[in-house]
Amino acid sequence: MRALIRFGKQPRLRFISHLDLQRFFQRAVNRTGLPIAWSQGFNPHPVMSFGSALALGWTSEYEVIDIKLSAPMGRKRTEDAVRAALPEDLPVLEVRMVDDKHAAPMALVRMSDYVVRLEGENAPTVLEQIPAFLQREVVTAVKKTKSGEKEINARPLVIALEKLDEGAFKTRLMLTESQSIKPELLVGLLSDMAGVEAPQAHVHRLALLGLDAGGNPAPLMAL
Amino acid sequence: MSLSERIENLMMSVQKPVRYMGGEFNAVMKDPNGVDVRYAFLFPDTYEVGMSHLGMKILYHAINARDDAWCERVFSPWVDMADLMRRNSIPLFSLESRTPVKDFDLLGITLQYEMSFTNILEALDLAGIPLRSADRMEGPFIICGGPCAFNPEPLAPFVDLVAIGDGEEETQQTIDLYRQWKAAGLPRSEYLRMAARIPGIYVPSLYDVTYNDDGTVRSVTPKPGSGAPEVVRKALVKDLDGAAYPEKLIVPYGEIIHNRIMLEIFRGCTRGCRFCQAGMIYRPIRERSVEHLMRMADSLVSSTGYDEISLMSLSSGDYSCLPELAHRMVERFASKRVRISLPSQRIDNVLTDTLKETQKVKKTALTLAPEAGTQRLRDVINKGVTEADLVRSVTDAFEQGWSAVKLYFMLGLPTETDEDVLGIADLAEKVRRCYFSVPKERRAPGLRITVSASVFVPKNDTPFQWAPQLDYETVVHRQQLLRQALSKVKGVDFKYHAPDLSYIEAVFARGDRRLADAMERAWRMGCRFDGWSDQFRYDLWLKAFDEAGIDPDFYALRPRPTDEVFPWDHLDCGVTKAYLLREWEKAQRAECTQDCRKGCTGCGMKRYGACEGRQ
Repeated sequence: MRALIRFGKQPRLRFISHLDLQRFFQRAVNRTGLPIAWSQGFNPHPVMSFGSALALGWTSEYEVIDIKLSAPMGRKRTEDAVRAALPEDLPVLEVRMVDDKHAAPMALVRMSDYVVRLEGENAPTVLEQIPAFLQREVVTAVKKTKSGEKEINARPLVIALEKLDEGAFKTRLMLTESQSIKPELLVGLLSDMAGVEAPQAHVHRLALLGLDAGGNPAPLMAL
Repeated sequence: MSLSERIENLMMSVQKPVRYMGGEFNAVMKDPNGVDVRYAFLFPDTYEVGMSHLGMKILYHAINARDDAWCERVFSPWVDMADLMRRNSIPLFSLESRTPVKDFDLLGITLQYEMSFTNILEALDLAGIPLRSADRMEGPFIICGGPCAFNPEPLAPFVDLVAIGDGEEETQQTIDLYRQWKAAGLPRSEYLRMAARIPGIYVPSLYDVTYNDDGTVRSVTPKPGSGAPEVVRKALVKDLDGAAYPEKLIVPYGEIIHNRIMLEIFRGCTRGCRFCQAGMIYRPIRERSVEHLMRMADSLVSSTGYDEISLMSLSSGDYSCLPELAHRMVERFASKRVRISLPSQRIDNVLTDTLKETQKVKKTALTLAPEAGTQRLRDVINKGVTEADLVRSVTDAFEQGWSAVKLYFMLGLPTETDEDVLGIADLAEKVRRCYFSVPKERRAPGLRITVSASVFVPKNDTPFQWAPQLDYETVVHRQQLLRQALSKVKGVDFKYHAPDLSYIEAVFARGDRRLADAMERAWRMGCRFDGWSDQFRYDLWLKAFDEAGIDPDFYALRPRPTDEVFPWDHLDCGVTKAYLLREWEKAQRAECTQDCRKGCTGCGMKRYGACEGRQ
């Protein structure tokens, strides 16, 4: 049996790297007192995985961790135990028990929703570019990869984009191994179009999404 | 913008922002309006170093166990953050509530190392607190404690109180007294006068120091009418089972140096190594009971989720019930996958079978500290181990599957000769032979021997407090001698450092109040994080001494006559000066003193009524 846990990352803890968060959870699951399943091998560790890494500096209300249990456990008891093992700035938001055959969250993720808040006087000018951006079919972007830089068409990676107010936009971006774009890159493209320097962006993740049986986007926890 | 937001704006541009983040699991949050006393506890080094320190954890949770006080942590911001804070006028802040340090009632500072002294000045300045006690009309009282508090004289003008000895009880008393003082609405100076009556509390500003013509101290006496005691006896917690110990520990997010449960199994040491300050100032030996340790371990494992318990003390192999404790720990925690480790391994203790079991998982290098290369010099320092002990220990380890050994030595010990230094290379060669004496099919491949030689720093309150530090040229000569000798031993990695850092450490370890001015000058020139070799600026230190009119050789290199009055003589560390002197004289005859578990050696601790030793 596995527990899928959705938790948030509050502003105070946005400086924890993904690697540090993984280490943190290794100890946190020990604190839960739940029957955690351990890996085999020379260096056994609790069996768990994350839906998607959250970049340093971002906040979120949709982080998903998948923890394998060695014995059946009720949803409520699991939720209470996990909540007690986490600090208040990593709030537990949703818990779902699934069987071992359920696909790993990481394998289900296709896209992610974000709210991006921009700082400074350039923000309105940058946000004005949204309609023009949506009308284009090709927006060339330079993406940094491990092997260097490569040119991509960013436009199809932006599934939805709308202005929220004079300082923020909401967007749905592709998030798969082969096709993904980070919100900061999108801010950079909009700023280039506006001909201004990219403003500082505060990124908040609203949801991780996969595809349901009908091929439509659906929140990860509902799949 | 709030202070918290302003701090966070800097965090994206510094190395390791988690250092300044707070919000860890088990960090204590309270309503500031619900407490009477706000206590800031400063560890004057980085977060990773400070968070690895057991004493801070003990006092943090002991203070926070009170309803009337809230203790928050403060660490020295690394140089990148400190510079950004200055540029943006952000004051030094506490991690928990991000409150400016100057708004606290009390500021406790732990003195673990002389080379962190400039970080204290840096911290006060970043906090916007005047450096000198005499210039402070408001803001927190500054209380220092820790091992360097046994000679706090170089810091005398900067601090208000010094807490000598075990901090568990005296810290609470300074808080109780603060409440009384505040309720009574008395002037600032009155808190200092009242505090001087708390056992273990020393108030430097209440003492006059006079000097002889040759620059040595003539006397340190309480100011007339101050009510301060002539001699301040260290505070002593007699029963550790009854002493405060945290049931929870803060679990950091980033990796820190010692990221595990630290369980202090006893305090004090009976060995009597003559170079070792800890072995003197933490006397007498006080053990926690197995039952108590098991209960502590249980609550710490479940509250932290750590997978390792380290059995801490100055010499954990000496714990009287070690086999029982190790056996029960392993039995209790193996199923929870919690490892038990014993950090302080002496070469004359045989590893118990149980601990061999627990250490099977991870064979990191076996670390041993013979300290000196010949039996004669080991007798001088009263190390009490023989070459046979070392041979048995490493052979045993090689048979158990270890292939890496780290050997720690000191250069410049009193009476040392070139021959003693060459003896280190002989020992390394013998260790190598021990490895090859184990049949090939039974030993792990890849022998690695690391020989690390530090430069000896004579410390106050040890039998070597009368000894000169070895001069620079001779240290360098012996380092090179050893390097050449070790280059002939295959598979040895030799580690050593320029002696300049140890020299400055030696100046402050046995320094007096006149050094405060040089310290302040060095800090103003840019000295901070002196213990970090990439930050240490020897040139600036020498310039600071020169400008302050201080001859650092006077403090570090001068042989001190046995009748000299020391700047710390009025602070009673538990063992008597007469005992230390006897040990100093025996050292020069290369005579050993037995472990006092085998019979009292008359160190003076019986005066405290806390030692069962027979006379």
